[in-house]
This record gives sequence, C-alpha cells and structure tokens, in this order.
Amino acid sequence: MSGSNRLAGLKARPKDTTVEEVRRVDEVGEARGFLDRTPRKKPGRKPSPRTYQLHPKVLPEVGEAIASEAEALGITQGQLIERMWSAYRG
Amino acid sequence: MPVIVMASPKGGVGKSTCAVLLASEFARMGADVTVLDCDPNKSLTRWASHGAPSGVTLKSDVGRSEIVPTIRSADGDGKIVIVDLEGVASQLVSRAISQADLVIVPMQPTALDAEIGSEALALVREEEEALGRSIRHAVVLTKTSAAVKSRVHKELEAQLNGAGIDVIEPSLVARAAFSELFAYGGDLTAMMNDPEMVTGGKVDKALANAQAFTEAVYERLK
Repeated sequence: MSGSNRLAGLKARPKDTTVEEVRRVDEVGEARGFLDRTPRKKPGRKPSPRTYQLHPKVLPEVGEAIASEAEALGITQGQLIERMWSAYRG
Repeated sequence: MPVIVMASPKGGVGKSTCAVLLASEFARMGADVTVLDCDPNKSLTRWASHGAPSGVTLKSDVGRSEIVPTIRSADGDGKIVIVDLEGVASQLVSRAISQADLVIVPMQPTALDAEIGSEALALVREEEEALGRSIRHAVVLTKTSAAVKSRVHKELEAQLNGAGIDVIEPSLVARAAFSELFAYGGDLTAMMNDPEMVTGGKVDKALANAQAFTEAVYERLK
C-alpha cells in the first residue's frame, strides 16, 4: 500500500457542529454515563507571583494591635511587617 | 479528509497502539496526519517525544472544551485526523465521536472488554439517532494470539457478527514490537531497519499486521 493518490479518494462527511448539536451529544452521553470529567481547578485566589504569603499566628491582642496600626498608617499589614522587618534588621 | 476516533471507556485495550500504527502507516502512504492525544496518560505524547515519523503532527492536552474546534481546525485537504481518547466514560469521548468519520473500538477478546467496549458502541448508535446521521464504527480485536484463536475470541467474534457489528480483520496480534514503539518512538519500518533497536519479537510480522490493519481501515474510509 503506497502512494498519496490512493489517499485522495478518502472522504470526510460534512459535520455541521452547532452549539445545539454539541448540547444534544452531551445529553446523549450523560444519559449513558459519559459525564464531564474535566478536573476541577483548585478553588480560591491564585498566589501572587510578586509577593510572598506568610501564615503567622500571633496572640489576639498582638494581632489586633498590628491590624489597627496598619489601618491608622494607611498601609497593608504586609507593608507594616516589611517595615518591622527592616527595623529589626537595621 | 477523515477523522478516525479510537474509543472505549476501558483502559488498556490498545487505543493508543491502534492510533500509533494508523498514524505511522497513513503517514508512510503520504498523508499529513494530525494525532490528538486526549488521554491524560499521554501515551502518544511519550511516543512522539522519542521522535514521531515524518508526516505526523501531534497535539497534546486536548480537553473537553477544545476537542470539537481542534478537530475542525486540524481537518483539511490531504489530512487525516486520528484521535486517541482517554479510557473513561466522559463527555470528551461523546463529543469526539460526534466528529468522527470512523470510530474504532479496540477490544481484547475477554468478556470484560466486550462488556465495557459495548458501551462505546451503544453511545455511537445513540449519537447517530440524536444527530440524524450515520457514524461509521467498527471493532478491532487486540492483543490476540498469533498462534491460535482462543475459544473466547471465536465466541466474541460470533457475537459481534451476530449483532451486525463490523469487525476489522485482521485483529492486532500481541506483539512485543507494538509495545516497544512507545519506548523507541518512530514507526515499525524504522525499528526494523535500525539494529540498535532491540525488540523481543518479530518486527516484520508486526509490520505486516499493522499494514493489513491499516488497509482494512482504509477500505472503511473510502
């Protein structure tokens, strides 16, 4: 078996694939157990590639004080921790 | 040009092997073959990573939402599209079947393969009814014995023929060269001509089997 001339004789049937047809195909498949098995994405916000996420647990009064201070300064808690780190290192 | 879909909700029946053999042989005949690897196990991607034969283009990671547009964009003059599906009952499978000119259901000659594979055949028939057009489909028995036709093999063939199901002859025999294609990449002709490639079986017999199988598929696409 050789030669592309033989392949020229191969035919494809026209398939008008409308949204309605795909929906019908999905319905037929689902009735027979052919379900949507696309893996679900992990829920929640994706981690930022620009920042680093800390997960510190502190005593309640310390946490409240840090939150209040950041709010009073008009910065995020992360920015306040950056300042604290800078002071600690400096 | 035609779209050939390998479908069975059961894994390990030989869908990827059929896809590789057909892609290689049709490419050798001069066709521009696009192979869509829709199997999360990525068997075809692994095969192509060792070197796909000339004329074969692989597209990986084709999911449920991309399958219809990807088949449509790959289809064209002088092109053959071969779709290797995952071995589960999913909407990806039902959507791919709707785009097929020929659905091939590989089946080992065992009662379990026949029972699970028949789900794919039933789905094709229901899709034909829903879409109001025929979708040609056929079973190929795989991993069969080269020496003797087992009792189960004969019974299954008789049942399929009795039910009016098209059974592709020849079956695909259990050959070491077929499984080793995934280790070496390329095609059986390259394997036969390269003394560096060591197989535990007879490559010439495997090649003859693959060519006869491709010829039988070709006859169904005319």
